[in-house]
Amino acid sequence: MEERKRWQNVSISIFAFLLVCSLMFFTGTLAQAGSKVVKIGNIIPLSGPSASVGVQGKDVREMAIEEINNAGGIKSLGGAKLKMIYVDSKSDPTVGVTAAERLINTNKVHILTGCWNSAVTYPTTQVAERYGIPFIVPVSVRDTITERGFKYTFRIAAKDSWWTRDQILFLRDMEKEFNVKIKTLALVYENGDWGTGFAAGWKKLAKKYGYQVVLDEPYPSTAVDLSPVVIKMKKANADVIMLVSNAADAILLTNTMAELKVNAKAIITSGGGHADPKFLDNCKKNADYIFDEVEWETDVGKPGAKETNEKFKKKYGYNLTGESVDAYAAMYVIADALERAGSLDPKKLRDAFASTKLDSGPAMIISYDSIEFDKDGQNKNAGIVIVQIREINGKMERISVWPKSARRAGYTPVFPMPAR
Amino acid sequence: MLLAPSKPFLRNRVKEVIMDLILQATVNGILMGSIYGLTALGLTLIFGVIKVINFAHGSLLMVGMYTAYWLILLTGINPYLALIVVVPLLFFFGYYMQEIVIKPVFKAERDVREPITVIIVTTGVWYVLDNLSLILFGAEYRVVKTSLSGKTFLLGELIVSTPKFYGFVATIVTAVLLYWFLKKTRMGKAIMATSFDRDAASLMGINQYRIYNIAFGIGTATAGVAGCVLIPFYYVFPTVGVIFDIRCFIIVVLGGLGSIHGAVLGGIIIGVIESVFAQFMASTWTEGIIYAIFILILFIKPSGLFGARQDW
Repeated sequence: MEERKRWQNVSISIFAFLLVCSLMFFTGTLAQAGSKVVKIGNIIPLSGPSASVGVQGKDVREMAIEEINNAGGIKSLGGAKLKMIYVDSKSDPTVGVTAAERLINTNKVHILTGCWNSAVTYPTTQVAERYGIPFIVPVSVRDTITERGFKYTFRIAAKDSWWTRDQILFLRDMEKEFNVKIKTLALVYENGDWGTGFAAGWKKLAKKYGYQVVLDEPYPSTAVDLSPVVIKMKKANADVIMLVSNAADAILLTNTMAELKVNAKAIITSGGGHADPKFLDNCKKNADYIFDEVEWETDVGKPGAKETNEKFKKKYGYNLTGESVDAYAAMYVIADALERAGSLDPKKLRDAFASTKLDSGPAMIISYDSIEFDKDGQNKNAGIVIVQIREINGKMERISVWPKSARRAGYTPVFPMPAR
Repeated sequence: MLLAPSKPFLRNRVKEVIMDLILQATVNGILMGSIYGLTALGLTLIFGVIKVINFAHGSLLMVGMYTAYWLILLTGINPYLALIVVVPLLFFFGYYMQEIVIKPVFKAERDVREPITVIIVTTGVWYVLDNLSLILFGAEYRVVKTSLSGKTFLLGELIVSTPKFYGFVATIVTAVLLYWFLKKTRMGKAIMATSFDRDAASLMGINQYRIYNIAFGIGTATAGVAGCVLIPFYYVFPTVGVIFDIRCFIIVVLGGLGSIHGAVLGGIIIGVIESVFAQFMASTWTEGIIYAIFILILFIKPSGLFGARQDW
């Protein structure tokens, strides 16, 4: 009796399980048949040290997707809607790779985007290349991401060699403009892919232009205390301090530098943590005079930029950043390619991305005039702006200063910065 | 490295400056290290009494920091006055977490010598708390300006950060109070008795589960103290605990599991290594060196610097 009952139970549960499975399958196919959906997998850091930029990336994607879907979706695909799937990379390459595999195999996404951290983007794009799924990289600046001859990787942001090149060109222009001689550089950077990539670029350029590197200091972004690094900066006493930092460490370094009264003629930073909207809230006057490098600033003179920023600020309570604008533009690049491909076939989609020439529409709040990819998937036109952080009427502002054509009318940069 | 000046006078001056900076690094290491020790106090206490590695410790620290953060932000109170509210609050938080979440598992595993399931439960608590705060407060980094933030004072030629100095004082006071409580009060003695032998203590009429609740409460309360100490110069975000977690484990093993003064000294050792060694090499290396020393200590003295030799 007992035995039979048990078997009965087992068979009933197996039957129930199969029923549920088939129901799920059935409803799944039904939903797909109803209206076409384009699934976009996004691998971004939603927790861990870079969580705040990840959340900004998510917010701005949501806004762009909502705009695209409300405007009728992808017309050439019968008004197909874009559906976002987010996965938290935790800034960890292994997590990113697993997420990419899962998004491709289980969720069957058509397009991937991400991952902000270059260290995550590098191996993740490799997975997408293997499966032949287009991967749009809004921001991740390590050069080699678009130097591997990949067919399915497309990057909106400028490469880090362009970033470092422009930082040094900016410095040389400042030297000329204000007749100040700069001899020594201190390089302080987070020890991930991003920071070490920048440092390699700086060292090459320093050699080329005759600057002496007096401090070369990679540090872990997750450090609780960065005073040891700041003490080294003080000891090195360089003319210019060059920084690459993620969100938390940018705040910690800036405040500790003010506390320990580190002086330099200029502090040049590289976006990322220093461009995070929370950075100024948290550092206030300690961030005064810093030169930050970004792709976009709220005072950029492009039609629609102000309105888009206001809409975003109303919705989420903070300003757009260069990096979120890249993510915003990326969504329109995706919509544009889908529209032209008129198909979800990965090959056709890939070809549509490769022949992108986006020069109109909401994405044109970017600081340059069109988005086009070279044969390695790098956006050829990506441009860079340098801003100075200044306290104006008690409020911290970011003011475009370089290239000179982008300088805010009537503003003269402060160079060298006054001693603390 | 530095430009080598040709005049001997100048060279001496440069040497002096470097010595000053190394002294500065040492002082900073001691102050910061003592605060690391403070963050590890709760972990070592809970381990000493309950014999369970509490993986949720970092999250308790996070809860302490958020409590302090909101209290200071909303009332503008001095961070050290905030202790009066934060410490009891965190005590009851820990007390009831042990009572409601961990105790049932403990009872189910009563016959097991090392209750491994409890460790897994604490891991669950860690994830729940971290993600709960991610939902409630968002991923952003929050800093609150207190009356101590960014303040420094001069000690000879050294610049000392005021909030870190107070943190050092708070660590010593907390450690001494805890020590006194465990050695001199009746409740403290009951806790110690349970930590030595829970079965014998039970036979003597000590309610071991109540002792566990109290130990967990005290451990969580010290995380509250650490939260108040950290807020004036550090920021808080949902996964802030993870950053401290690994350091806490190293400190606790280094100082000896269950040892209060071991945790404080272990913290200071780690802080000084981190700060001073960073002056001679890239700071990425110091992390490696801390782990190397950690392994070395496990080889030479597995019970840690001040750990008891006995088998638990």
